[in-house]
Amino acid sequence: MRFLDLLAFAAGALRGHRLRTALSVAGVAVGISAVVALTALGEGARRYVVDQFAALGSNLLIVLPGKVETTGGAPFGGVTRDLTLDDFRAIARLPRVRRTAPLAVGEDTVHYLDRGRAVPVLGTTSEFATVRRLEMASGDFLPPGDPEQGGSEIVLGMTVAQELFRSENPLGRIVRVGQWRFRVVGVLAPRGRSLTFNLDDVVLIPVRTAMRVFNRSTLFRILIDVRAHAEMEAAKKDVETLMTERHRAEDVTVITQDALLSAFSSILNALTLALVGIASVSLAVAGVGIMNVMLVSVTERRAEIGLLKALGAADRQVLAAFLAEAVLLASGGGVAGLAVGAGAVRVFVSFYPSFPASPPAWAIAAALALSFAVGVGFGVWPARRATRLDPVAALARR
Amino acid sequence: METLELVRFVLGALTGHRLRSVLSALGVAIGVAAVVLLTSLGEGTRQYIVRQFSQFGTNLMAINPGKVKTFGFAGAFGGTTQRLTIDDAEALRRVPGVEAVVSATFGQARVEAGDRGRSVYVYGVTHELPAAWTVTVAQGSFLPEMDPHRQGSFAVLGPKVARELFGMASPLGRRVRIGSWSFLVIGVMEAKGQLLGFDIDDVAYIPVATAMSLFNQDQLLEVDVVARSTEAVPGVVSGIKAVLTARHRGEEDFTVTTQTEMLDTFGRIIGIITAAVTAIAGISLFVGAMGILTIMWISVHERTGEIGLLRALGVTERGVQRLFLLEAALLAMTGGVAGVAFGFGVQVLARAFVPGLPLATPVGAVVAALVMSFVVGIAAGVIPARHAAALDPVDALRAE
Repeated sequence: MRFLDLLAFAAGALRGHRLRTALSVAGVAVGISAVVALTALGEGARRYVVDQFAALGSNLLIVLPGKVETTGGAPFGGVTRDLTLDDFRAIARLPRVRRTAPLAVGEDTVHYLDRGRAVPVLGTTSEFATVRRLEMASGDFLPPGDPEQGGSEIVLGMTVAQELFRSENPLGRIVRVGQWRFRVVGVLAPRGRSLTFNLDDVVLIPVRTAMRVFNRSTLFRILIDVRAHAEMEAAKKDVETLMTERHRAEDVTVITQDALLSAFSSILNALTLALVGIASVSLAVAGVGIMNVMLVSVTERRAEIGLLKALGAADRQVLAAFLAEAVLLASGGGVAGLAVGAGAVRVFVSFYPSFPASPPAWAIAAALALSFAVGVGFGVWPARRATRLDPVAALARR
Repeated sequence: METLELVRFVLGALTGHRLRSVLSALGVAIGVAAVVLLTSLGEGTRQYIVRQFSQFGTNLMAINPGKVKTFGFAGAFGGTTQRLTIDDAEALRRVPGVEAVVSATFGQARVEAGDRGRSVYVYGVTHELPAAWTVTVAQGSFLPEMDPHRQGSFAVLGPKVARELFGMASPLGRRVRIGSWSFLVIGVMEAKGQLLGFDIDDVAYIPVATAMSLFNQDQLLEVDVVARSTEAVPGVVSGIKAVLTARHRGEEDFTVTTQTEMLDTFGRIIGIITAAVTAIAGISLFVGAMGILTIMWISVHERTGEIGLLRALGVTERGVQRLFLLEAALLAMTGGVAGVAFGFGVQVLARAFVPGLPLATPVGAVVAALVMSFVVGIAAGVIPARHAAALDPVDALRAE
């Protein structure tokens, strides 16, 4: 039997039992579409996070005070040696550092006339806009100058500007933060949530002023933009050495973008794999269904098998014929499932356009391979039963 | 047909095609087993977290500076304009129903003894902490009762810190350095283990006022309040809010979290995750139903002659329909029972090999899985059964 004959034989057998075939195909299709949809969502979540990090700038180093041995994560609470503006200036002088911005954070209510909104207040310098790739909707960012010099400029996030000023133009207006008065110099372009801060719902003021407003002498973070991506590790070492020298102890944590990114990425990958694993249980169930239908098919076609064998068909050919039938069933389900899954994801994305969900190429290949494997795996046993039939007995039964 | 006769007839049909029946039931069994296992894992995790939290007692509540808003948890960045002070905490003792109040702050520092050192969390607390957190002292004593504003240079170590710094030797009476300060070790805590990834054995406790100057803080990061009983908790919460709001010029710039609220939040999150995962596993139940539908369809076709004979002998359309429905339901139910048994079997194995795995099978989930398998059977049986019932007896007999 040639390969094409084989396929035609199997397809003919399947067409003869249309409903049965359709149901078996649908079983695999349901499983495959679940697998495809879930990988697409998982991959979407991963890409969303990666995009968020890319928006932070891929050469970013973050210095935070404190170091903890058990958890290894970012420490919180107080520390014995704080980060100061002097530390910031020392870091700025390192050769591998292109730009750096200090960050002091507090929370307070911003007032304009009788309207107020409680928001995070970020104290920083003009470099922050470049390090964090911020764009302005109107006006300018904080003016450059000596960080020790305070100032009464304030930049509003988009949401804050809308809530406080409605349709008014906020530029040049005076707002109050606590007892302090600030002149609005700019409004940030909408950016949306970026992992830690919703940058639409913050205000930015000069770092020195923020430290005075919140009555603290310490920084929350120092952000560093490294000159070249290849020098990230070296730059991290530089900063750690410098801070150890300055503080006479290893008491800061330096986080690279890549470390954070790979941590998030591996968590999301593990999650996706777990969900896909659970979804593929249904593929096993569909496989059992195919096996069942194939067994029925073998029983029904005893006479046909007997005839084939009597005409000189080798065991291998009979095996191939029935395997081909099972594989056709499963692969048909695989293709249908792929279409349904991809369609469902497309619909989902049309409702949530900001979520970049699409089945990755490897998942498509894996889904097809998986459905093929289901056909072979669950088709072998029925096919072998067919080959073991004694031709005389099979024909005599008629 | 009588019920007994009906059942016997159906059993005969099922055992006649043993392999086919086993495979159909197997499909459902796999699905049910997956559902049972996953709900068990979810429920186990929930119970694990409840246990972790109830270590602290259900009468405990925490007050943090700042209102929960943008950041999801309060006071994460310090820097609110109104501060939570030791005086605030002491004022709470006046609230009726309050048993203990602990002023707390914490920070990260290197604790050193001799040439060994370890970077850990250092808690600044008051003497009532062991009662509030239900921790006990293994050696020596906890921080003494004293004016919380007073500083003092003694420290109590968590067992892990003590072991890392002093090895087997007793740390009592020895000195440790934290930052530029020197502390006398007066106690070592009992080992308590991890709480959601946070190692409470790897910490050191010092007087709160000392910690505030050590960490250069001007406010407390947390005040823990213990109510006299669980029933008193709601009253205490409103009492705390009244006292603190009055002290803070009418602004509610703090957050009170009760242990029960925290538990509820975690319980809800885990519930949602379990439901989602179970729903994904439920897809396999659906596929199993399609397998039963296929086999029943084949079965109706094969037994056309038989159906014709039954009808000719006076069995009604409804009787035939019931026959096939029962067959499908029986297939699915067998699968369901086998699946539950299989799920339990896997759990026993899992417990033996991975002792720490949190597994607890909710009875409701088992019942739901069995009911689901019955429903699956009936649903899968409807189309073939109606098809069988609609056959014309004369045509059906001729097909033989």
